[in-house]
Amino acid sequence: MSSTASVSHGGHGAHGAADAHGHDDIAEDPHVGKATGGKVAMWLFIAQDGFSFGGLLLAYGILRIFAHGDWPRTGMRPTDILGINLTAFATFLLICSSLTMVKAVAASQAANKAATVKWLAFTILGGLGFLSIQAYEYHHLVGEGIGFATSTWEGQPINNLFGSTFYVVTGFHGLHVFSGVVYLFCILIGTLRGKYTQGGITHSPVELVGLFWHFVDLVWILVFTFIYLL
Amino acid sequence: MSKHKHASAHDGHGHEQPVAGSHAPLGAAAHGPTDSTFITIFLVLAFLTMVEVMIPSVYDAPWNQHTKMLLLVILAFSKALLVALYFMHLKWESPWLKRIALVPAYMGVAAILLMIETAWRNTLS
Repeated sequence: MSSTASVSHGGHGAHGAADAHGHDDIAEDPHVGKATGGKVAMWLFIAQDGFSFGGLLLAYGILRIFAHGDWPRTGMRPTDILGINLTAFATFLLICSSLTMVKAVAASQAANKAATVKWLAFTILGGLGFLSIQAYEYHHLVGEGIGFATSTWEGQPINNLFGSTFYVVTGFHGLHVFSGVVYLFCILIGTLRGKYTQGGITHSPVELVGLFWHFVDLVWILVFTFIYLL
Repeated sequence: MSKHKHASAHDGHGHEQPVAGSHAPLGAAAHGPTDSTFITIFLVLAFLTMVEVMIPSVYDAPWNQHTKMLLLVILAFSKALLVALYFMHLKWESPWLKRIALVPAYMGVAAILLMIETAWRNTLS
């Protein structure tokens, strides 16, 4: 890849620049077009993170296949233990937060500080809501006997791998949501200071956190299906 | 919503510039999605989630577990594709960014190989 996203006007700090008229001034790259270096880096990160989640889900699939129906116990299905309706609501919350994230990116592109702050705050609330539901779910499951290493259900032992894989995969995703909320909060602070709503490409960091947040939503869609519904 | 239909404008110097609020991301083609696009995708995702939640109870019998699995996997990947294409703007990105995004699809190939191997082992036993 040749020179990506060189910025010729450096008046607005490290996040990019706009000229006096608020125009983008990014060199067109033959491969990545007008994408900033940060955007290419975020996509590379998302691709490698996709491998991490893919590896976990694949390992889950292998363990489950070779459990030969003993998942979580012979004659039982994950839907008999896991709270599908509550998790479906958590999924809906994440989808809602993806929509508010899109609105935040649009508002920052339009150099509308108040709207950007509002939509970022809604996105953070969505993430916090999701994490709260996950914490409640973990508390409930641990109380019912589904542990990290050994598991029981209604006093009877079940396949220990069910609990282990459940906590590893959903916990890894939960850590991503937590990181996303912290990342969003940092961007919110920057927006309140007026850094990302100056026009031109100053909104780029909001777009980057948006990419990460949508990726977290995308992964959850797959986790919800493979861990909870199948 | 419709006011954002035209995602680009000329700046007077002969350069095409994204219009503020057009949602066209940096590096994306000039014709980006609109507010109504995003709301439509959101509604489709919410609807498909409702369908997903109902599927395990509809296909509950042991003999239609494969149908349930197939439907759920198709729905999940359709939803993931919608998020990637529209919310992550992949539909409007340059071919190279699309290629980067496609790299983890290798895990799908690995999953298919796994299923083939499992089926083969089952025929042996």
